[in-house]
Amino acid sequence: MSVADLLVIDRVTCRFGGVLAVNEVSFGVSRGELFGLIGPNGAGKTTLFNLITGLTAPSGGRLRYQGDDITGLPPYRVAERGIARTFQNVRLFGELSALDNVMIARHVRTRSGLVGGVLGLGRARQEERETRERAAALLALVGLADRPGEAARNFPYGDQRRLEIARALALEPELLLLDEPAAGMNTGEKRALSDLIRTVRARLGLTILLIEHHVPLVMDLCDRIAVLNFGELIALGAPAAVQRDPAVIEAYLGDEA
Amino acid sequence: MATFFATYDFLLVSMVLAAVLALTLYLPLMAGQLSVASPGFYALGGYIAAILSTKVFHPGPGLYPVSLVLLEMAVAAVVSGILGLAVGVPALRLRGIFLALATIAFVQILGVVALNLEVTGGAIGIFGIPQPFASQLQYMWLAIPLLLLSMLFVARLERTRTGRALVALREDELAAAAMGVNPTYHKVLAFTASAVLAGAVGAVSAHFINTWNSRQGTFDTSVNLMAFVLVGGSRTFIGPVVGGLVLTALPEALRGVADVGGLPPWLAQFLRDGRLIIFGVLIAVGTVFFPHGLITPGLLRRLGGRGRASAA
Repeated sequence: MSVADLLVIDRVTCRFGGVLAVNEVSFGVSRGELFGLIGPNGAGKTTLFNLITGLTAPSGGRLRYQGDDITGLPPYRVAERGIARTFQNVRLFGELSALDNVMIARHVRTRSGLVGGVLGLGRARQEERETRERAAALLALVGLADRPGEAARNFPYGDQRRLEIARALALEPELLLLDEPAAGMNTGEKRALSDLIRTVRARLGLTILLIEHHVPLVMDLCDRIAVLNFGELIALGAPAAVQRDPAVIEAYLGDEA
Repeated sequence: MATFFATYDFLLVSMVLAAVLALTLYLPLMAGQLSVASPGFYALGGYIAAILSTKVFHPGPGLYPVSLVLLEMAVAAVVSGILGLAVGVPALRLRGIFLALATIAFVQILGVVALNLEVTGGAIGIFGIPQPFASQLQYMWLAIPLLLLSMLFVARLERTRTGRALVALREDELAAAAMGVNPTYHKVLAFTASAVLAGAVGAVSAHFINTWNSRQGTFDTSVNLMAFVLVGGSRTFIGPVVGGLVLTALPEALRGVADVGGLPPWLAQFLRDGRLIIFGVLIAVGTVFFPHGLITPGLLRRLGGRGRASAA
């Protein structure tokens, strides 16, 4: 953890009644890093994402992003600062078209108000056109350019996950949180997803925080990995080192192994 | 044709005004908020027009100037908008059924206030509201442009940044917030826009109905508006407009059927007087079999597609 880190998680705790979902977890994510977050089910990974993005308020600790304290900011303020995410159980705007889903996420990067938009004034009209073009380009980037008008819920599961990534990218984030992006994908799709993640990271200069159960994918992609178990950080480091860590092996296989 | 318009002049204007009112329910619904507050703002707008035209403005004899009606509509819209903002900020912290209940309470409170104030004429209300037109049908000169402008407004809104933010909130508030949409701001915005429009409709209606009292814009109106939107369709602005037009005409049409004769007396009686029962059944049956109403975006797409195909 250093001052230069893009995201600093400082002794963050989250309590739900008597359950400690996240217990005094601290680590930093540096700019440009692809950072993996792994752990058994119920380890607190998604809760940590919810804490970072403001969906859940922490019971203790601080969150700093780009040097600013973002603890307790509402989700839309966190998004305005350039943190975008996908959801473990896909939360697209199901009735809306793929293109509309992505266009909505241009919200924080556009300015048109109610009056300007409805009257179609010059600047708003221009902005609307740009929004549409950028959204179409993002659909193309994730390989969904062929069905922009299709309702999101009609897409196969794997495509929905890619659509969610396109939507998150429309926010022009500096930090992208991906919550199990490969869940429900077959081997070929997983490989394509890895390539996509590498591509967007290189092309857009993103910092990525990735929750993933598929260990080979994480080992292959990530620069560093943090391991959570029962809400506590039990290991942190390069993939190879984490893989050999006895605490990690114990958490995954049980202490009898 | 002339007899038709002469016979149904009141009904035709009522249909158009009902369609605009249905849109006032649709606006917050775009953001997923079931608010039935618009009858309250409608009543307020009516009182503003009634008071201004009978007690404040003193035009000479003859027809009341239309320009003053437009001025009253503007005042009603602004005042309703301000009240909408004041009510919306706390009320829209509530969700779902709790918001609906709070807005029902708001309508009731306004009704009680109107019943007990001197300026609103108490239980008697305000009557003899001056007429800007020689015939009731001519109210179409106000009603039709109002409907067209509000339809244009909503149609345009659906294709703007603000409109997309509203719909995103309806689809998934949490995901919308994570994409940077400020939920409270946009809900209050939709609620306030609805109040503005309802106030303006009220101002026209006060002149049109000629008298205004606390029986205007009550919970009954809330139920009617809900029927317009739920039966017509809640996912495209065409739905509430069609719902408002058709369901306002429905009781008259049923009365026509009842008068044809040959029906058993109880059925004829039911067709004449069973309006609220029929609306209730329509809401119940409609929401079970057509949860998004009769007119859905999908239906419009299919109709549009067929139109294009046959044109080609």
